[in-house]
Amino acid sequence: MGLFAIKAELLKKVFITRTGFWTRKTKATLAVDGISFDVGQGELFGLLGPNGAGKTTTVKMLSTLLLPTSGKITILDLDIVRQTQEVRKRIGFTFGGTRGLYTRLSGIDNLRYFAELYGLDPAITNKRIPELIEVVGLTGRGGDRVENYSSGMMQRLHLARALLHDPELIFLDEPTVGIDPVGARELRKTIRELKAQGKTILLTTHYMAEAEELCDRIAIINKGHLVAMDTPSALKQRISGDALIEVLMKEENYAALKEQLEKLDGRSSVLVTDASPLKRISIRTPEPGAVMQLLAPFISPGYIQDLEVRNQTLEDVYVTIIQGDRA
Amino acid sequence: MIARFFRLLERQMNLQLRMRTFNLYNLLLFFLQPAVFSAVGMILSRAAGNAAPDLVYTVIGGGIMGMWSGLVFTSTFDIRADRREGTLELIVGSPTSLGKVEAIRTFTNVVAGLVSMAAAFLAALLIFKYPLQEANLPAALFSLLLALFGLWCLGMFLANFMVWSRLTTSIVDFLETPVAVLCGFMYPIRVLPTWMQAISSIFPIRWALEGMHAALQGSHDAALLGRSWGLAFGVALVFLGLARVLEGKVHNLIRVTGELNSI
Repeated sequence: MGLFAIKAELLKKVFITRTGFWTRKTKATLAVDGISFDVGQGELFGLLGPNGAGKTTTVKMLSTLLLPTSGKITILDLDIVRQTQEVRKRIGFTFGGTRGLYTRLSGIDNLRYFAELYGLDPAITNKRIPELIEVVGLTGRGGDRVENYSSGMMQRLHLARALLHDPELIFLDEPTVGIDPVGARELRKTIRELKAQGKTILLTTHYMAEAEELCDRIAIINKGHLVAMDTPSALKQRISGDALIEVLMKEENYAALKEQLEKLDGRSSVLVTDASPLKRISIRTPEPGAVMQLLAPFISPGYIQDLEVRNQTLEDVYVTIIQGDRA
Repeated sequence: MIARFFRLLERQMNLQLRMRTFNLYNLLLFFLQPAVFSAVGMILSRAAGNAAPDLVYTVIGGGIMGMWSGLVFTSTFDIRADRREGTLELIVGSPTSLGKVEAIRTFTNVVAGLVSMAAAFLAALLIFKYPLQEANLPAALFSLLLALFGLWCLGMFLANFMVWSRLTTSIVDFLETPVAVLCGFMYPIRVLPTWMQAISSIFPIRWALEGMHAALQGSHDAALLGRSWGLAFGVALVFLGLARVLEGKVHNLIRVTGELNSI
């Protein structure tokens, strides 16, 4: 087997929609535009991007649910177009939200049905379902109808379904969306355990802290194309190793501070935004100590309302990259 | 392999019956509608002074109407619900082919439709004292089995159109009445214009019904029954073959259009 669990080359997807009855209008929507990346065996790879960026379309192509318009996908050394059924036996996938379950059946009956679709032996099914129910934290509720589950429980049942056939590669599309913080933490723990077992995982999420905490590498896509790909720490370094100082102050006091900030050298940047009735001044700098010295005379109750010095997070990096791409 | 198939059959039928078939709408469709069709047909037929032989059309017609409506509406509802609930893409994304799942679902819907035939016969026997003494019951039962097989094959064929897109699902819905008219559910096929009879000959149910009508009227004519059965079986096989050919094409098509998950 090769080193890569996923190899996507120049992946492109165009959706054609036709509207109108007498005069048919055709509209082509470019959802994914020439994306290439690969995911190593046992890697936890994150796919980030704003709504409509093409994340779910990419995951659906990788998981055989959509055919790419052009490009090539190899999953576990198998071609997804020619060896579709083989690929399906070895991958698992979940899509965020509460859809994708038979709500009038119990959680266990849902799992039994999908176990049959994946051709599991009854002995394995009988052993696997209680194990998975426990792994995803549904112990004692597996026999209840799914319509009585909370959205978090449904998400966890989705994960159990995706793991039924013990797949080598798992696609998790926004697995923690709509889950409370405690439930999301539990789910992240389960994802880490899966990685520890050697599973390859492709995760899409809107939660940057989640991606930063879990992922070995991250790809950021926007408007269908790849705009950045690296480890979370390298991505943060890539934007810069700068610190971020955020100051909140009254508008009338800003003029005096502005004079001081003009003394900063070109390596620092200042962004002023309105936080009515206050001004928010964001200073990105490689020398936070020097900036703090400039700010020191203003640190008194009449001037600065709030001051925060922090390292840049993945969210800062993400926002910078996406805004840069939009500009 | 065979054990796996029967497990899948059991699991799919279980899900089908619990999720889709046994709800109030479907029970009325399977039970009440055929009984009403049969009863209204019997009343009208008797009011017109028709004798028992003609009543056979109202009895069978009511039953087969329920089976056909049940198949069309339950199957289209299944696909719509799967699209809406997001389970269609999970089925397609599994190693079991959608064709196999559809085959079992359609089989379940067709077998559940037997309730309709039972309801229609019970209405005819108990309320209108329909005479069965002279009927060729073994031949009638065999014709019924062929009608079930024909409905199953036709259902498999139509399932491809239901999966294809939301538009084609709606078109299948509209087939209910035209097929009922063309196949002579409620009257002898000979009363139809020649061109309509020609169209109806492409439906396996038409031939199975012809056999059933003859058998219930006491026919033991081997040539007549054999011809009806042969045509019913042959035409059904053609639909089955077409269903198999379409299955692969539709599977690829829905993965191009992204119709799997459209609401």
